[in-house]
Amino acid sequence: MDWECCWSKEQIEPENCPYIGEGEEDLLVSQRRRIVEKCVECPRFKNDLARMKGSGYPLSDVLPYILTEFQEQKTQMGAMLSFLNSKTREIKFLREVGLVLQTSLDLDEVLSIAMTAITAGKGFGMNRAFLLMTDKDRRHIRGYLGVGPRDYEEAWRTWEDIGRSNFTLRQLARDFQKTKLSSEKVKFHDILNQLTVPMTDQGHIFNRALTGKKPILVENALNNPDLDRGLARILGVDTFLVMPLISRNRRIGVIIADNCITHKPITLQDMQSLETFAFPVAFALERASLYERLQEEVAKQKAANVKLREQQELIVKMEKMALVGKITSSIAHSIRNPLMVIGGFARTLLKATPDQDDKRGYLESIVRETRQLEDVLSEVLDYSESLFPVTDFWDLNELVGKAMTELEGALEQAGVRCRMELAPELPMVRIDYKQISYCLKTITTTALAAMERGGELRIESVLDGDGVLLRISDDGKPLTQTAQEALTAPFFQTQELGEGVGLSLCKSILERQGNSLSIISRPGGGNTYSIRLLTRKENI
Amino acid sequence: MAKLLVVDDEANIRLLYSQELSDEGYQVVTAGSALEAVEKLESESFDLAVIDIKLKNESGIELLQRIVKERHTIPVILCTAFSCYKDDFSAWLADGYVVKSSDLQELKDEIARVLAKRQRLSQP
Repeated sequence: MDWECCWSKEQIEPENCPYIGEGEEDLLVSQRRRIVEKCVECPRFKNDLARMKGSGYPLSDVLPYILTEFQEQKTQMGAMLSFLNSKTREIKFLREVGLVLQTSLDLDEVLSIAMTAITAGKGFGMNRAFLLMTDKDRRHIRGYLGVGPRDYEEAWRTWEDIGRSNFTLRQLARDFQKTKLSSEKVKFHDILNQLTVPMTDQGHIFNRALTGKKPILVENALNNPDLDRGLARILGVDTFLVMPLISRNRRIGVIIADNCITHKPITLQDMQSLETFAFPVAFALERASLYERLQEEVAKQKAANVKLREQQELIVKMEKMALVGKITSSIAHSIRNPLMVIGGFARTLLKATPDQDDKRGYLESIVRETRQLEDVLSEVLDYSESLFPVTDFWDLNELVGKAMTELEGALEQAGVRCRMELAPELPMVRIDYKQISYCLKTITTTALAAMERGGELRIESVLDGDGVLLRISDDGKPLTQTAQEALTAPFFQTQELGEGVGLSLCKSILERQGNSLSIISRPGGGNTYSIRLLTRKENI
Repeated sequence: MAKLLVVDDEANIRLLYSQELSDEGYQVVTAGSALEAVEKLESESFDLAVIDIKLKNESGIELLQRIVKERHTIPVILCTAFSCYKDDFSAWLADGYVVKSSDLQELKDEIARVLAKRQRLSQP
C-alpha cells in the first residue's frame, strides 16, 4: 500500500514532509526520530492509520491508544522538563544570589543583587520592584529603592540591552550598582516618598504581610474594599505582590513586585520562589545595615579615642606645668617671707634714722638689694604662672555630662529628673575647666534648692553667634530678691551672704574669663540661668 | 581709729605689720593662727582683717570662708607670697589681695581703699 505519510521510508527528500523545518535536516535520514518527532502528529499519518484499519491490519485498533498515550506522556515529559529547567535555573540563581548575599557586607551591593535578581529575566523576571525598609527607630516603613522601567519604551530598551549582553546575575548586579543605583532611587523618588507607612497602622497591607510573615498577592487592587486604594494608584497597577522581609523576628522591610509592563499574571510559583529568596535577602540586608552602623560606631569611637589621647597629653602637660608652678611658688614663699622681714624692718629703721646719720647708707643698701631680690622673685613667679595654662579649649557638652554625673546623687535625693538637650557639633569653648564645672555645679545646686517638690531640670547647650549658650532651667520657686541682688551687685559688697554667695562667685568667675551669667525668674515658677561662653581665642 | 586684725604665722612679720600699721594710725591686733584669729573675732569687733593665705598647717582661705560663712561682716584682705592663688577661686571672696613685699605701701593703700569703700557703703 502507498502511504500518504513518509513513516515507512528510511530516507526521504525534503519535499516529502512539509513539517520538517530549517535546521531539522537530520530527520530526513533518521526514520526513528522522524516518526517520534513528526509523524506521530502528522495529519497524513492519521489518514494512513484510518486506511490501515480499513485494510484489516491486526494492530490498527491498538495503535491509536498507544499513540494517544505516547502523546500524553510526551506532553507531561515536556511540562516536567520545563518545570525542571525552571527549578534548575532557580536553584542556580539562588545559589548565585546566596553566595553574594552571604559574603557581602555592603548595603548597596546587597540591594543591587536583590533588586536585580527580582527584575532580571535571568532571575524572577518581574517587571518592577520596590524595596521599603523600616527606619532606625522602627517607627515607619519607608520607600528606599525602586527598580524597573517606568514605561513600555524604557522596558523594551532595557530588555534589548540585557538580551544582547551575556552577563551573569552577579555581573548584572555589579553593573546596576555602578551605573544605576542612584539614578533608580531618583527615578522612583516620587513613588518611594508616598510609600511611607507607620508601623502602628496594623491594618495596612505592609504590616499585615509583616505580621503574617507571608507574602500577599494583591489582585484587583483598585476595587478591593480591604485595601487602601491610594496604594494601587501610587503604584499604577492593580496586581502586585507584597513580600515581607523578616530576619529572625526582626522586621526588615517589604518588597513590592509587579508586572506593570507585561501584565503577566503573578503565579503561585512566582510567589513561592520569591518567598525562598526573601529570607536570605532580609538576613543580608539586616547584616549589612548592622555592619554599616557598626562602622559608624567604630569611626565615632576612633575619633573619641583620638580626642581622649589629646586630652590625656594635655593633662600630662598641665600636670608637669603645675608641678613647676608648685615648686617655684613654694621656693618663692620660703624666700619672700624672710626677705620681706629684712626689707620691711630696714625701711622702718630708715624712716626713723635722721638724714645725716652714717647708717642710712647701709640701710638704703639693704632696702635696695631686697627690692632687687623681690623683683627677681616676681619675674620667676610670673614665668612659672605663664607655664601653667589655666584656660584652654574644651568640649562643653562633655563638661556638662561629667558634672551632671557627679551630681546624680544630689538630683536623686531631690527627686529631680534631669533632661539634657545638648546641641551636637558645638565648637570648643575657651574656659578654665575646673572653674566652669564649679559654676555649673553651684547653679545646679542652687536650682535644686528651689525645687522643693522635685520636678525637671533642663540643661541645654546651643550655638549662639560666636559663642555657646548653656541654659539651666528649673521649675521650682522663683529666686528670692536677696539672691537676685547678690548676683547683680558688685562682687561681695552686699554682705548678704545667703544663698546668693555661690552664684555671685559664679558670676565673678565667668566675668573674669570674659563670659557672662544671667538669670531670669518666671513669676509663675521656675528660673533660667544662662551662661554664655566664648569660643574665640582673642576674646580672652 | 580703725581696728585691724592681722593674721600671720610668722612672728617677725606680725611685728613688722604691727609696727608699720600702728604708725599709719590703725589699732592693730595680731593672731598667729586661724584658731587664735577666730577667738579674737568672736570676742572683739574689727573693721578689717589682713590674712596670710599660707598659715602653718592651716589655710588662710579656709579662715576667709569661715569668716564669710559665720557672717562676720568685716572685709578681708588676703596677703601672700604666692601668686598662684588664681587656682583657688575661693580667694575671690576676699575684698582685696596683696602680694607680700618689703615695701608695705601697697598693703597700706589697699587697707585704706577697702575701708573707704566700707564707709561709703555703710552710709545711707
